[in-house]
Amino acid sequence: MTTEELKAITPDKVVDSRGTACPGPLLAVKQAIADVDSGEIMQVLSSDAGTKRDIPRWCTKQGHDYLGDFEEAGFFTLYLKKN
Amino acid sequence: MSKLVLALTTSSLDKLTSAGVILSGAAAEDMEVDVFVLVNAGHAFIKGKAENLTGMSDTTQTSEEFQKALDNLSTPNWTEFFEMAKDMTQVNIYICSLAGKIAGGDNKEDYIDIVDDIVGIGEYLECAAEADVNLCL
Repeated sequence: MTTEELKAITPDKVVDSRGTACPGPLLAVKQAIADVDSGEIMQVLSSDAGTKRDIPRWCTKQGHDYLGDFEEAGFFTLYLKKN
Repeated sequence: MSKLVLALTTSSLDKLTSAGVILSGAAAEDMEVDVFVLVNAGHAFIKGKAENLTGMSDTTQTSEEFQKALDNLSTPNWTEFFEMAKDMTQVNIYICSLAGKIAGGDNKEDYIDIVDDIVGIGEYLECAAEADVNLCL
């Protein structure tokens, strides 16, 4: 998805893990995914560069759809859809 | 469910923190984890010692500098990492009986609550043979 398409998404759940370092964002997503229903979208905010690789790979292994990410204002915004 | 076996041989703060990071990653991926505490690592799990460790395997930083860096990054300490991993997935922590004797802990009650049992080295070898990933720190 393009950055514009991602920005147009209204997420069902927001996980703000800015300020934490690896593996904090991944753990936050893992814990929060239980609160999301199948088909719903989670937005993840992270200031940790490792998150950009960890979350897509985690989604693939867990069977969720990774929708994309963009970097803005010094942090990353990532989107995933729970399957 | 894939399985990680981690052999931990040191009570140094940096290696224990590394173990905690690896455990957390494994927990996020729903891996089953067996941690085997060998030789000098036993000290870290004795009640009263876990919170007061100052040894470092790497001398780049003092333990105080290391802890300050972790605090600045809002990163949990090693016992918190282990506890979080146990909350998220199947994590078993076993003290090798030799490590127990070296550390002065002969009974499970001598150890912090995250410890599951005291075992012999045969248990480690059997689990390692069945694991998908084997690591030694």
